[in-house]
Amino acid sequence: MVLVEVFGTGCAKCGRMIKNVEIAVRELKIDAEIRKIESLDAMIERGVMLTPALYVDGEAKVVGHVPCVEDIKQILLGEK
Amino acid sequence: MTEQNIPRCACESGIEPAGGTKRIIFACAGASKAGQLSNEAAVQLTKEGYGNIACTASLAVSTPSITKKVETADEVVVIDGCPVGCARQIAERAGVTPDQEIVVTDLGIEKGGGLDLSEEDVETVVSAAWEGKGRSKTENERRPSGGCGCGGGCC
Repeated sequence: MVLVEVFGTGCAKCGRMIKNVEIAVRELKIDAEIRKIESLDAMIERGVMLTPALYVDGEAKVVGHVPCVEDIKQILLGEK
Repeated sequence: MTEQNIPRCACESGIEPAGGTKRIIFACAGASKAGQLSNEAAVQLTKEGYGNIACTASLAVSTPSITKKVETADEVVVIDGCPVGCARQIAERAGVTPDQEIVVTDLGIEKGGGLDLSEEDVETVVSAAWEGKGRSKTENERRPSGGCGCGGGCC
């Protein structure tokens, strides 16, 4: 199972990141757990200083902007 | 926790993180529900960081500022309300082939039916852009202004 973590404080960009991740996971039909993390303490603990941020299996993949659905698919497939 | 080590949101002004695609969005903003949806979706996409809404009327008269914006954009996205494609036609007359054209009525939304917009319809159009549903099959066609047919080579 792939662990997908989205760090965000609840703004429009963070909300869109979650939606795009959900679409990408659904279309790829992969087994993934999507976690939405809004706690500042959790972000600091993980070293996230700019949101929205996307982590896959604990690795930072995108920080500070929202990737489109196609980009997220490539990230989840390990192509990016 | 000091202010310096608090995570910041990219929505805050002045933060321009690298890595994002610089998109410019032209909506037809036509006088129908679908046309107004195109504009509302462009506004929402701008708030979400997908790209920046730009003035389609300015593109029609090729103002210097809009020409510069198009030239510096990575992608041009057009949102039209209906298949007439007014925004696309304006772009093409300005020498710009959009990388993506979303047509609201192609998404199962009726053109008419009043000017009240539903959040669900806006979300449908916004999601379509994020999913790249309007992406051209020949993605390398777009070339910036001039309209001379050189493909940008003379600029």
